Amino acid sequence: MRAILVLSFVLAAQAADSALIAKGAAEERKSCVGCHSLRISSTQRLSRAGWERELDKMVRWGAKIADREALLAYLLDKYGETVPPAPLPLSSPGAR
Amino acid sequence: MKLSSFKRGRRQLLASAVGLPLLAQTEGKPLVFPGKDAMLVHNDFPEDLEAPAGSLDTFLTPVERFFVRQHLPRPRVDLAQWRLTLRGMVSRPAALTLDDLAKLAQHKLPATLECAGNGRGYFRPRVPGLQWTKGAVSTAEWAGPRLADLLERAGLDAKATFATFDGADTGAGQTPDFVRSIPMRKCLHPDTILALTMNGKPIPAIHGSPARLIVPGWDGASWVKWVTSITAVPESDKGFFFATAYKYPKRPVAPGGAARPEDLETIEAMPVKSIFTSPGGGTAANPARFRPGSVPLAGLAWSGENRIVRVEVSADGGARWLDATLGKEDFRYAWRLWRHEWTPPGAGYYTLCARATDSAGRTQPIEAPWNPSGYLWNGIERIGALVKA
Ligand code: HEC
Repeated sequence: MRAILVLSFVLAAQAADSALIAKGAAEERKSCVGCHSLRISSTQRLSRAGWERELDKMVRWGAKIADREALLAYLLDKYGETVPPAPLPLSSPGAR
Repeated sequence: MKLSSFKRGRRQLLASAVGLPLLAQTEGKPLVFPGKDAMLVHNDFPEDLEAPAGSLDTFLTPVERFFVRQHLPRPRVDLAQWRLTLRGMVSRPAALTLDDLAKLAQHKLPATLECAGNGRGYFRPRVPGLQWTKGAVSTAEWAGPRLADLLERAGLDAKATFATFDGADTGAGQTPDFVRSIPMRKCLHPDTILALTMNGKPIPAIHGSPARLIVPGWDGASWVKWVTSITAVPESDKGFFFATAYKYPKRPVAPGGAARPEDLETIEAMPVKSIFTSPGGGTAANPARFRPGSVPLAGLAWSGENRIVRVEVSADGGARWLDATLGKEDFRYAWRLWRHEWTPPGAGYYTLCARATDSAGRTQPIEAPWNPSGYLWNGIERIGALVKA
């Protein structure tokens, strides 16, 4: 019984988390475009403090963030320091 | 950039930036950059492109493979309207056309350009910024008037201590403009030029057309692109890209720690470094693979303002070092090719290393000192190689 309670609590927390993360993904597409593409964030692997500093810097430079909590949850989930880095894409030749 | 002649270009640029789809421009689409071969893509708008190490196998890097670093979106420059303004502590301020510059004596030199953040991706803990591995470095032959000639022509005041350089690029919102100051001793050096050509052709837009500052041996951030003004000044610029960015702590910092602000110094000349180009890489999980017999190893070595005098190679993780053969091109500010014919003693897994020594006796550390912005990585490279019959 107790195990079921704990499990349902964990599942509910995860559902809340994934809703927040989805909101954060939408927030990124609203607030983090115009000056550079989103790709620049995708190669970072930062701690919460690291992402907090990065967002402060972007806000100083003109980014307008409506839902910072959701954006942070998303960035930490996708590009947190414990997430393994993805290999860099190689462009197709455009020369000549 | 403040010249009115660029207003149109700026408006167009802004319009195109605002008109972008909300997603990354190339999400899901093949990445293709006109004029560039296959490059490792750190960012696509603006483009930050790394040369795959295996492609850097020539003394001069073809423009198609030359790495790209841009802080701000690339400006559109109208060559007919373009002027270079010389001002500040000068007795004869001037606005020169491209023709004016082309008529001055042209100085030509090969020089290696390396981003201060090349190798940032190797630092642990990780630090924010482009996670370059080893290919944010390339070499070209640059030609253009000497900066000293330009400053002299404008009647430089001997009391000026820096020249401040601005390019045609500007940032959106409150993003700081990219402005850099260079101490007068380096500005007046006969090898510091305002290049109009790269490998014998006009500099391509992505590399700073029509005029790019060449500061041989110094970090890439000093090599201002799309230069529109040179201002002789009594002190260095106070903007973000000079006063805050590109600083290195003069006192070593523990990994993950913070530097004291008073310890931060502007990066100037780059350190001694070497990389393998053949094999371009290899790890325990994905080693470079060879058959027994003779294995040609090759790479590059460079050292800011110094010459490379020696490159050693090890196949056993650094227990025994053998001298590599240095390439014939030996120029003060350009990398040197090296090669070594390695005969593995038998099948097995080997750790290949290379280490360079420069004319000042400097050599590479096992690991580069960690620093908060991840600059100046020059640790000895380790490549996993598997020899199998
Ligand atoms: C007003 C323009 C602007 C907006 C909006 C903006 N950025 Fe940036 N961002 C910049 C500039 C300029 C750079 C520096 C680019 C360079 O040097 O290559 C940068 C760089 C970065 C970097 C690389 C690390 C660094 O500090 O150089 C990351 C990560 C980043 N931005 C994330 C974000 C995120 C997340 C958002 C949304 C909250 C965002 N940016 C919105 C202008 C902006």
